[in-house]
Amino acid sequence: MGVWLKRHSWVVPYALLAPGMLWLILFYVYPGIQMFIASFWSGTLETGFTFSLDNYTNYTEAFDQFSPFYARSIVYAGAATLLTFLIAYPLAYTIATKGGSQKNLLLFLVVAPFFTSFLLRTIAWKIILSDSGLLLGPLKAIGLVPEEFRLLATPVAVISGITYNFLPFMTLPIYVAIEKVDGRLVEAAKDLYAGPWRPGGAVVGGLVGGVLAAVLGVIFNWSWPAMALVGGTAGALIGWFLVSESFIRVTFPLSLPGVFAGSLLTFIPAIGDYINAEFLGNPSTRMIGNVIQNKFLTQNDYPTAAALSFMLMAGVLAVVAVYARALGTEDVSTGRL
Amino acid sequence: MVHQSLTTGPITRRRVLAGSALAGMAAFIAACGTKGSAASAPASSAAATAAASAETPTEAAAAATPSPELNWANWSYYIDVDANDPTKHPTIDGFTAEFGTVVHYSEVIEGNDEFVATIKDALNTGKDTGWDVITLTDWMAAKLIRLGWIEAFNPANVANLITNIKDVYKAVDWDPDVKHHAPWRSGMTGVGFDSAAVGDITSLAPLFTSDPKWNGKVEYLSEMRDAIGLAMLYLGLDPTKPTNEDCDKAVALMEQAKADGIIRDVKGQSYTEDLKSGDAVLSMAWSGDMVQTQIDKATLGFALAKEGGMLWTDNMMIPKGAVHKGTAELLINYYYDPEVSAAVSTAVDYISPVKGSDAFNPDDKDNPLVNPPADWVARLYIFGALTEAQEIYFNEQFAKVIGVG
Amino acid sequence: MTAVPTRTPARPSGVGAQTRRLVDRYLLLVYTTLAVVYLLVPVALVILFSFNDPAGKSNVVWQGFTLKYWLHPFSVDGLPEAVGLSLLIAFLSTAIATTLGTLIALALVRYDFRLRRTSNLLIFLPMATPEIVLGASLLTMFVSIGSEPFFPLSAVTILIAHVMFNISFVVVTVRARLAGFPRHLEEAAMDLYANELQTFWKVTFPLILPGIIAAALLAFSLSIDDFVITNFTSGKSQTFPMFIYAKNRIGVPPQVNVIGTVIFLVAVGGVLITTVSSRRRR
Repeated sequence: MGVWLKRHSWVVPYALLAPGMLWLILFYVYPGIQMFIASFWSGTLETGFTFSLDNYTNYTEAFDQFSPFYARSIVYAGAATLLTFLIAYPLAYTIATKGGSQKNLLLFLVVAPFFTSFLLRTIAWKIILSDSGLLLGPLKAIGLVPEEFRLLATPVAVISGITYNFLPFMTLPIYVAIEKVDGRLVEAAKDLYAGPWRPGGAVVGGLVGGVLAAVLGVIFNWSWPAMALVGGTAGALIGWFLVSESFIRVTFPLSLPGVFAGSLLTFIPAIGDYINAEFLGNPSTRMIGNVIQNKFLTQNDYPTAAALSFMLMAGVLAVVAVYARALGTEDVSTGRL
Repeated sequence: MVHQSLTTGPITRRRVLAGSALAGMAAFIAACGTKGSAASAPASSAAATAAASAETPTEAAAAATPSPELNWANWSYYIDVDANDPTKHPTIDGFTAEFGTVVHYSEVIEGNDEFVATIKDALNTGKDTGWDVITLTDWMAAKLIRLGWIEAFNPANVANLITNIKDVYKAVDWDPDVKHHAPWRSGMTGVGFDSAAVGDITSLAPLFTSDPKWNGKVEYLSEMRDAIGLAMLYLGLDPTKPTNEDCDKAVALMEQAKADGIIRDVKGQSYTEDLKSGDAVLSMAWSGDMVQTQIDKATLGFALAKEGGMLWTDNMMIPKGAVHKGTAELLINYYYDPEVSAAVSTAVDYISPVKGSDAFNPDDKDNPLVNPPADWVARLYIFGALTEAQEIYFNEQFAKVIGVG
Repeated sequence: MTAVPTRTPARPSGVGAQTRRLVDRYLLLVYTTLAVVYLLVPVALVILFSFNDPAGKSNVVWQGFTLKYWLHPFSVDGLPEAVGLSLLIAFLSTAIATTLGTLIALALVRYDFRLRRTSNLLIFLPMATPEIVLGASLLTMFVSIGSEPFFPLSAVTILIAHVMFNISFVVVTVRARLAGFPRHLEEAAMDLYANELQTFWKVTFPLILPGIIAAALLAFSLSIDDFVITNFTSGKSQTFPMFIYAKNRIGVPPQVNVIGTVIFLVAVGGVLITTVSSRRRR
């Protein structure tokens, strides 16, 4: 056997691959093909489905009717990805650079929410964001928000839910990337750019702070220009102190692969999510996932549902392909940063 | 970093072979397609009648010797529970004691469409679904019976059903003379409200008109027939004979309410959670739910509006190909004993369809939600049966109200 | 000769610099604390409400403390079966997916062969596909060949689906571990007359075992928490996440919170044990 293997050693990788690949082909590729075919069906469950290439109209009609949902899903998923980035980056940075001996503990705390059920976490948010619940109750009692204000059943709640649920996905890749940054490069940059005048940090901080505060103002119906001013000033001050030149010029660029990986890992599941929209949203915040679920399971409209699924998958793969072209396929698929 | 493209690559013989193999597989699948169930329905019903006539001697035998097991799918919290152990159900234990059959009672049904989706492929291909008794709402029962997917009862085995069913449930146009279905429980759809926030409710108007007391805190049901039914009643239309124009008007009314900022959400049974937490103060509601929510929040109430409300039933049926059909009929017969039905009513706050069962529960006698008086029954309507084309149209339009259309 | 003192950069002094240092040191810590609190509040809520004593069926308002649901965690119809099924499928799919995935990872890292790029792509694709598309396509396939006796929607189809999406994650995790693998150890072993199989078992496998375990843990947690794909492929069976979703319509009973807390504690315990044991090994 050993001799035979040595002579036909080309067999080995294929033999190792075969069982797993077979599983993937049978249960990923073939269903995908089946769904593609189903998207060219016409008919109903009772009268039967017939295949015809003329049914490409399934795609055009579905897109016409549901393009607002695709747009909304992209907006929500994009906003959530941006939010997770803003929350996760400082967190990952702190753990990587200042974690020291507590690194593992902190990482564990970041991942800990993952150990409770996704549904239970979302239901917990429903309780927290309730109209007179943990968050809004005190705020309303103080008078910071009006009585009729609500967070649940709004896009804000949906985006917040998605942000929370995918935070670990963004934090971990960024952490790995920052941790790999050679400390000596940062030291060198500190020496090169030592000095009190650090406009870069202040500008970045001011912009980020201002935008975030303005968004908060819009959400809670406080005056957004005032919020922008306050947030911008606070951000500029923080940026002045924290966001050093060495960070802008060394650490951040080197951490970008982690940022991209984390963004992908967040955006892809976010865009197909429908649980957050269902639990925390209202009829005008439904995402494309809700539509597909409804079409499949309630209306039994398999052709349209299949067309919608396929367009979603094609869109996501296009985004991934663009990213892959920017960074190289090997890196994407091997997950190396 | 090596820049590699996903799409380019050498066209090798291997790739071409792989491509043509995939294309061939695709063509094969396309050629198969799926047979329509209507086409197979005549074939299966012919087979069913043949099987039924062949089965009668064995069915009589089945009545005499109940099978050792039975699989029953039902909704949650829809049966009596033992006070000390919520996983035990005294009426089921009573059935087991009498007939020796172990009943696998599963509260897996959470939605008609979701549940039928799990048994559809088996029914479509004439196979055993794994269930002997399923409990589905009237409109889904009508649909399954129309598709020929439900077994007809052997009248000899369900004598209690035929004699004890309340008259109002007997003559439904989708299954006259209860040949295929046996109502399990019945309920009303009306208005659930928090009297502390909105006062007393007697009309459907608050659901569709703006008022600072409830703006943004009103919820609709995602159950199409209930929502459209109530909207039609408010507009003065007749929900027992729904037309596409009626559907359009009802949907337009609800869309307008959404646009006016009255509506918070359109959802299923979880509206009860919102009423209890105060996130909602007014909702389309099911009668039995409101009885339960009052335990958590005493100011909640249910109103059958002056314009009327919807009456619906959840029905026990035996799916085609069920292995223990005879025993299933015994179960149905057992639950049409007034005393057994009354035992169920101690825990389930919905209307019993069995004549005489209300006499066993004197406390419920004055509760109109469980024992509706004549003036209530007069303004309860059963949503009319829809054709397949109508159903598709109604679902498509209603999807707009839910937000996925 | 005196040693050249290592250059210590002159530390700027003054109020501005001191403020900068204070901010630098504490602001991020404050932020991290806030972020961790943000992450843990919902978890704390889930655990807290397992001690709630609701009068009715819903568990959204705190009504009183009780231990009774901890004493009788399975006193809800269908809960023990759902948890049991979730655990069974998680164990089985982890075992299968870890085996298949490790083999694939070995092939992809060690060997260069014609289909390597395609294989890489195929492994990556399921991770890049939204779960709803995965579930829907599996449902379409299982339904269209529903006449086959071995593809009715059931626990088997759930298992198939879980193995499918787990393989990719296992491959990525194991491959990361394999990438930095010291090949020279294997070569040394083979120089010492070990054949390939012995080398694998005695040298390679123990060294990549942490990676395999990490992959298995990842696969297990993905499987036990999966809802979307399971929802589409479950048929009559019900897993724990599906149970929660179903019960959410009327009210999630505290027993569910108890089970959720137990799963959380087991996971926490598992991580603690592996951390401590790996530290001890070192």
